[in-house]
Amino acid sequence: MPSDATLSLAGVRYRFPGDAAATVDGVDWAIPPGAVHCLLGRSGCGKTTLLKIAAGLIAPDEGLVRVGGAPVRGPAPRVGFVFQAPTLLDWLNVLDNVLLPVSLKRRPRAADRDAARDLLAAMGLGALAGRHPATLSGGQQSRVAMARALIGAPDLLLLDEPFAALDAITREELQDDLLRLCAARGTAALFVTHDIAEAAYLGDRVGVMAAGRLVHEGAVPLPRPRPPGIRYAAAFGAACRTLRAAMDAPSPAAGRAA
Amino acid sequence: MRPRLASVLLLVALLGAWEAWCRTGAVSVLVLPPPSSVAETLWGEIASGRLWPHLRATATEMALGLAAGTGLGLGAGILLAEWPALHRVLHPYVLASQLVPKLALGPLLILWFGFGLTPTVVITALICFFPLLENTLTGLEQVDAAKRELFRMLGASRARTLWRLKLPAALPVILAGFRVAIVLALVGAVVGEFVGGRQGLGAAIIAAQSVMDSSLILALFVVITALGMAVYEAARALESLILRRYPRG
Repeated sequence: MPSDATLSLAGVRYRFPGDAAATVDGVDWAIPPGAVHCLLGRSGCGKTTLLKIAAGLIAPDEGLVRVGGAPVRGPAPRVGFVFQAPTLLDWLNVLDNVLLPVSLKRRPRAADRDAARDLLAAMGLGALAGRHPATLSGGQQSRVAMARALIGAPDLLLLDEPFAALDAITREELQDDLLRLCAARGTAALFVTHDIAEAAYLGDRVGVMAAGRLVHEGAVPLPRPRPPGIRYAAAFGAACRTLRAAMDAPSPAAGRAA
Repeated sequence: MRPRLASVLLLVALLGAWEAWCRTGAVSVLVLPPPSSVAETLWGEIASGRLWPHLRATATEMALGLAAGTGLGLGAGILLAEWPALHRVLHPYVLASQLVPKLALGPLLILWFGFGLTPTVVITALICFFPLLENTLTGLEQVDAAKRELFRMLGASRARTLWRLKLPAALPVILAGFRVAIVLALVGAVVGEFVGGRQGLGAAIIAAQSVMDSSLILALFVVITALGMAVYEAARALESLILRRYPRG
């Protein structure tokens, strides 16, 4: 386990009270600084729970989580989290939503507001800073949620299927936005998804989860940054096929309720 | 505009029918005065200035009772929502307090506070308490779990989460409770005056009854209805002003 990893999970195990089987069953994982990793799996395979353990929202029964080398014992301050739904506050405008992580701790300064405006501009939302979430499209709301997660310049971004509800074109645009921002800021990311193509496009490495265990992991053999049109290249199809095969392979725990 | 016009026309038709029926002499003026006589009485009350002290008294009781009931209901709702254990212990008592007909407490409240403003304010406050409590509880318990998790992720304290997330998120539900309370407040104030008021529209109705002035009773009824509609519309306007940033639905 490299000690300089931005996120490291060692022997993480968690069982929901009352459940027969562990939801997360002995997972080891490490993300070096600036890398984007994906966790791929079917619904109910434990990937969201693993992400919440990494975030410090759930304390594991066993194992150790470290962010930037320090053990995690509660919601980690240098970590940004993007939820499945945008979870924007309807009564705040876009700028105040992005500033929420700051305004919960102290009064935002001019520098904070500038940082938020820069983030919104980088996402193509510069003109919408004064609007309210209900007036935005789904893709715009997801972008605001991403900007909110990035406002504290976190070392690590944890994303829980944030684009699952969006149409295909918008989803691809947001994937590009995410990769661009992470690369520009050197932010590491752990991205949870059930979409094989999304995992192959975003991840430097992809881990496949089934029934709480990692059943496959490997680097994605595609150039970084992803060239335009790579989604239609043969190499991309091959990478997707590999992941699909890993998802279909019978795992030791196969047959358990997913 | 068309439905509103239809409403007005219906009112005119009903009043016309009432007036015509009274003029046939089929019913004694003492029992049912015609609308023209009610309007005359109402105008007399307004012009002579006799109406204003009563209107002021009822409005004051309503405002004080509403303020006290709203404050207590909101506070108790927050308390019970934040401490579910307390909620479980107190819930039967809260329910019982609402099932007691509060007007039946009137004689007791008069014993405690004397005749006049105070017992009516207390009755009004008791009536307003429940919708605020109930809606505050419901609103606070409905807050989206993902948003609560977001606040946890951002390291927000419990008080911060309440102030910055739960109360704003519950505001539409709380304001709907307030709208109910404001209607009940008028009922509470008027009926409270029946029991123990010296002044106010309810007390004036009792006084009119004792001299069998049915025309005055109906005139006061018109005033009470107008007062109720005015405060209800004011509450609605306030609500849409406060909630203008919230999504509709």
